[in-house]
Amino acid sequence: MQKFPLLRRLCALLLAFAAAQAAAAPDGLELYIAHCSACHRVEGQGGIGLPLPAEKLAEVTDDYLHKTIRLGRPGRVMPAFERLSDAQVDAIVRFLRERTETKDPGFDNDQVVGDAAHGELVYNEHCIKCHAADGTGEGEGTGVTQSRERSFLVMPASISNSGFLGSASDRMIHTVVEHGRRWSGMPAFGDGKLSDGDINDVVAYVRSFEQRQSAPEAIGPDERPTHIYESPHDFETTIANIKTALTGANFRIFPDRFVEQGVTDEFSVNQRQVGIRFCNFNVLYGMLKIEPRLGIVLPCRITVMERPDGTVIMAIPNLRVVSRWFNNDELVGLWDQMEETFTEIIDEVTL
Amino acid sequence: MRPLSHRLIAVLLLCATGFARADGMLMMRIPMRAEIVFAYAKSSIEEHGYSVAHIQLCDGGMTDFGYKTDFYRVLFFGKLAEVRRISEKYPELVSYVPLKLAVIAEKDDTLLTVLNPEVLAPYFADAEVQIQLSRWHSDLESILDDVRRSIGKRIAHAD
Repeated sequence: MQKFPLLRRLCALLLAFAAAQAAAAPDGLELYIAHCSACHRVEGQGGIGLPLPAEKLAEVTDDYLHKTIRLGRPGRVMPAFERLSDAQVDAIVRFLRERTETKDPGFDNDQVVGDAAHGELVYNEHCIKCHAADGTGEGEGTGVTQSRERSFLVMPASISNSGFLGSASDRMIHTVVEHGRRWSGMPAFGDGKLSDGDINDVVAYVRSFEQRQSAPEAIGPDERPTHIYESPHDFETTIANIKTALTGANFRIFPDRFVEQGVTDEFSVNQRQVGIRFCNFNVLYGMLKIEPRLGIVLPCRITVMERPDGTVIMAIPNLRVVSRWFNNDELVGLWDQMEETFTEIIDEVTL
Repeated sequence: MRPLSHRLIAVLLLCATGFARADGMLMMRIPMRAEIVFAYAKSSIEEHGYSVAHIQLCDGGMTDFGYKTDFYRVLFFGKLAEVRRISEKYPELVSYVPLKLAVIAEKDDTLLTVLNPEVLAPYFADAEVQIQLSRWHSDLESILDDVRRSIGKRIAHAD
């Protein structure tokens, strides 16, 4: 006869309950691998995304991490993970804590009261060199990749970014200014350089960046993913004119490829649909340093198609649309330049 | 962070589901050299019924022009019926076919990146386009998943 049958049964029930709970709870490690490791790497070394060392995580709250995952950093590569549930985001945060053996530093969420006008003066004297006048961070770089040369180990945070301001509490910003961040090169300003009041004023000034946020760009009613132009010339002349214009614009032209080439045999391929592919390697190399994932839209291509009625059309991706997919503001100017070049090429072709 | 063991990485690759949906793209990091991952990716694409139309050697092009670069290649792939239907009926989509998968080396890791076709959905009201974009999305997830599982098995067997 078993001893303590009721106790045994209770233990079994508790174990089954715990197992069911464990099975139902989202797995932070699995979620991290699936959603974060592509950019931050499996062990948090950073790559496309910033590194996530213990020193950094020890300085930020769970609430900051949760909101950062939720809000992302608009225009700064880090996407907003809106599809994850709160439980899944919390699981990722717990995983980060376990992996780095860090704890929430427990900053309060109280508003820091300071004089933003004086804070601006202090900011301009001490902070502007790294964080820039508009708070977007120094020079080139959005923390895209560790493999490129840059002037800081980690690019200074874009402290005017709506994702940052929505995630960081006043107390956290105050603490970072006061104690610095040794791992990233951010100096401490609390060791006699700035008074507690000065730091409060800087926090108030940084918080004032919230009022300068512009609404995210929405898809316009007439916006299309591709520009379609009708050519006034026949198929062959259109292709010849495009190539002349591209050469004049300093592009290297690759051998033509039919749209269907490679997905059917050479006898069945439609030869009245051709992609004219081109590249300026100097521009490309510069862009890849800013955004290594550009491969998904490479190479530049103008597709020329003869329609059944004999009209000839040219299709070019709308780079304004394409640029949004990368969430990288650094590319915007370059995309705009490219878009302008493409327009000039089309103008030349359709003359 | 504490280092993960090789075996744990293999298990994670075998078991993990879901992708980093970074705005307009699907991404996956594989802790394996790019040349090997590229071969798995090409094979997975073909197993999903797509023809690999072309391989763009971005690294070769840049090296020829004197730039230093690691492994960087793009696989172009498509299905004839789909490519033909799109070029005939939806010229606004033709710039996005064939589909492209970028295979990018980052030291000993490889990043697989592909445009998420769902980002094109808001521009088209046509049900046929919506179904096509959704099918591509599903296929691309499946292709990436297969690469992850295959590499996971390879790592597990090597241990």
